[in-house]
Amino acid sequence: MILARRAGAPQGARPADPRRRTFWILALPPALGLALFLVAPLLFMAALSFRTDLSGTLLAPFAPTLKHYAQLASTAPFLRSLGLSALTALGVAAAATALAYPLAYYLAFRAGRRAAFYLVLLLVPFWTSYLLRVMAWKLMLGGEGVINSLLMSAGIVDEPIAALLYNRGAVIVTLVYVWIPFAALPILAALGRVDVRLHDAAADLYATPFQQFRRVTLPLSLPGVIAAFLMVFIPTVGEYVTPLLVGGTSGTMYGNIIQDFFTRAANWPYGSALAMVMLVGTVALVAVGLRLVNPRRLLER
Amino acid sequence: MQPWRSRSAVRGSLGLVVVSLMAVACGGGASTAPSSAPTNGITPEPTAEATEVPPDQLTGELTVLDWSGYDAEDFWTDFKGTYPNVELGFEFGISDADIYGKMKGGSAADVFHPYTGWLQFYVDEGLVAEIDTSKLTNWDKVPDSFKAIGQIDGVQYFIPWDWGFSSILYRTDKVTGEVDSWDALLDPAYDGHVSMWDDGPAAVTVSSYIHGYDETAITDDQLADIKAEWTAQAPLNVAYWAAESDLVPLMQSGDAWVAYAWQGAYATLLGEGVPVAYANPTEGRNSWVGVYGISASSPNYDLALKFLDQKLADATSANLPNLYYYGSANGDVMAGITDETLKEAFSIDDPDILETTNFTPNLTAEQRDAWTAMWAEVKASQ
Amino acid sequence: MSGPSRASTAQPTMARRGGRRHWLGGYFWLLIALLYLPIAILFVFSINANTTLSFPLKGFTLDWYEKLFDTPALLRAVRNSLGVAVWSSLAATGLGAMVAILLSRFDFRGKGALTGLAIMPLIVPYVVLGIALLVLFKAVGVPLSLATVGIAHTIVALPYTTLIVLASLVGFDAQLEEAAMDLGASYPATLRLVVLPIAAPALLSAWVTAFTVSFDEFALALFLAGREPTFPVYLYGQLRFATTLPVLIATAVLLMLSTLTLILVTERIRRR
Repeated sequence: MILARRAGAPQGARPADPRRRTFWILALPPALGLALFLVAPLLFMAALSFRTDLSGTLLAPFAPTLKHYAQLASTAPFLRSLGLSALTALGVAAAATALAYPLAYYLAFRAGRRAAFYLVLLLVPFWTSYLLRVMAWKLMLGGEGVINSLLMSAGIVDEPIAALLYNRGAVIVTLVYVWIPFAALPILAALGRVDVRLHDAAADLYATPFQQFRRVTLPLSLPGVIAAFLMVFIPTVGEYVTPLLVGGTSGTMYGNIIQDFFTRAANWPYGSALAMVMLVGTVALVAVGLRLVNPRRLLER
Repeated sequence: MQPWRSRSAVRGSLGLVVVSLMAVACGGGASTAPSSAPTNGITPEPTAEATEVPPDQLTGELTVLDWSGYDAEDFWTDFKGTYPNVELGFEFGISDADIYGKMKGGSAADVFHPYTGWLQFYVDEGLVAEIDTSKLTNWDKVPDSFKAIGQIDGVQYFIPWDWGFSSILYRTDKVTGEVDSWDALLDPAYDGHVSMWDDGPAAVTVSSYIHGYDETAITDDQLADIKAEWTAQAPLNVAYWAAESDLVPLMQSGDAWVAYAWQGAYATLLGEGVPVAYANPTEGRNSWVGVYGISASSPNYDLALKFLDQKLADATSANLPNLYYYGSANGDVMAGITDETLKEAFSIDDPDILETTNFTPNLTAEQRDAWTAMWAEVKASQ
Repeated sequence: MSGPSRASTAQPTMARRGGRRHWLGGYFWLLIALLYLPIAILFVFSINANTTLSFPLKGFTLDWYEKLFDTPALLRAVRNSLGVAVWSSLAATGLGAMVAILLSRFDFRGKGALTGLAIMPLIVPYVVLGIALLVLFKAVGVPLSLATVGIAHTIVALPYTTLIVLASLVGFDAQLEEAAMDLGASYPATLRLVVLPIAAPALLSAWVTAFTVSFDEFALALFLAGREPTFPVYLYGQLRFATTLPVLIATAVLLMLSTLTLILVTERIRRR
């Protein structure tokens, strides 16, 4: 991804690079915003995790302790939940990305001039409160909901299927369903770089549509696929709203534990420790994952 | 050139942006201006010698940190009528831990609304001011037992305002016989149809009722037993509930047959025609009281006191039971209830009910941390 | 390659493409149906007299829509949400585009750090961010308001906008840019005239995503909004006492219908 004015010349070696001013104009606002409103809160959270408890002035110096990390390390259910949440997130991200790809493909190559309209059409439902939409779904899927009533009156089942709601499966299905339109967006953005003439050229060379897809479209769209996967995976590790709404007692995720320590227990230090572990763990996982995926793909090009 | 990237598609979308921007700019000018923190409200005269401004000419700003939903005008109608020129603003919390956290984290609220169990922390951390009850004209309407609930170490820090019961709510058409004990919540006979409140201290409370533990002195062994008990109970739930709006659909749809519930859910379901009953367990019901306190760092002490006084006034207090099925600390209002559903829900005709009811004691910070951590482990073990 | 043989290979390709066209289109519309189904249900309840979401239906009424316009607090909350969403989404799109250009066009020492920070908000729990910003704003003396919510929303939308715009800019052929600069264009002009038009559709996607992230966001708004609630905060508050549910549903449905009308009209205009 090196972009030098002359091929082979690294940017740093040319102090008179005319893009330098632009670089700083582009770099300063995000850097400043992130430093003030992300890094500072993160440091606060990290500091909190070493605090014994919430008593006393919050921003005053305190004697740090590792007791929350120690307690977390010795609480098997929490660690298990973290692992399970990470696995769930991997599954959801894989499924959502895979199911989003045909959607992005349709919008990029088949929808023609209507693509922008279709795109907005896909996202507009998300402006309706998630809470209300899930309530409507629960009405359909509950023990005496619409689906079960139809199944029972049609004689297909004798008893209502409880498994449609309030378990881990319901959480996974709901999350995938909710993420598909968003996962399509980076893939769509990447597919936008594919010149349709490449498809024609492939056809001229007697490539089957599948070969054309595999050799031309897919590699070019890979950055978008990776972006989509990350966009779904990372926040899903810490997801708590959906498990709360449809997870019942068996579908809780690590994010619920963190949430509870803040909003039910007023135990910010312990909650911060849990959050820090999730953060560091996810960053490490993503870094390792990217290292495995990227070099090979880039070389192939 | 890709057709979907055509200029007209982009133009159309930009048009959408422009239109929405205009709509917001035209309509939302005032709402996007930052509202100033109420630190520049009236400077209170701490000595009682202030020349009294007539109520309808009194101006100022007051911020109330309250539970979501309590900003409804029904809950401050007397204040609005008496002091029409005082601006009232609300910040919201979704739980006691949230409200405590916000007060600790630096909320600029003048008045806040915690519930019994959580009051000790505010005193210990110096977050709440003492209430000068001599300035409350409605104070005499509050029964002594309720007044005592707002006192910590003999000092009146809080004003009781709303209260209610916790007990077992059950579908009479799904449950055979009468439920008369808290252990119904742990009964495997109701597998898949129980709904417990998502709250650690509540779980400890229920266990202490069933086994006769002293709630103010739970030992580590007892806590371990409680954890095991509720870990085994967890699969019996169809789902935990966090707010009454979660519980009501669960019971109405028949997904839940037996639940830990406040009387508000009971009255709502009765009103919907659902066949439910509210138990009178042998161990006694639980009761909780909501209180208001004045922030120790509030610059609007006198105005806050006037607000609290108006909260206890008759019309506001009457709205609690009549519109929302909650009890009021105003004794006159409670004595004047005639609606049958309400009398049923509050067991008004049962003179012994308050004797057998267990009021929630205030937790220490250690208990709070231990019990909530226990509950988090119970939920994570599933 | 003679004409007839090319045509004969083209024919089966076209036919297969036609089959795939139907499958893809059907898939799209199925997804649309699944996304709009709960909204259709909400619509049905918004014109019925039920006070809870349960069957049977209790009879047609437009009362809830009437009551909606009689509730100034509700209308103000909706306007607050719209304002915060518009400004935070614009800021997030702008900043995200900047970061995407930096990451795809430049090489510099802090590149990994910038990437990590731009994506980091995805993994920070909103409750932690909200509390931290609350404490920090208070320490510095910044009062809570819709602006503080807007700042938080910009930060949490940034990863989405960055990733989407980045996906369209990555590995892009540098020759177009180099050609422009060789012809004398400054780099800012190059960005404006060459890069941004290519990225424009991605920018639109990014903006809509950022808007969506902000409009229904609850946790941060609960901490940072001060005295002016946003719509999700207001909605959650009203849910506490279930009697107000129908008016909220009517509000949500009305918002949805207005938005749909708006984009349908825009599409109609565009097609002309």
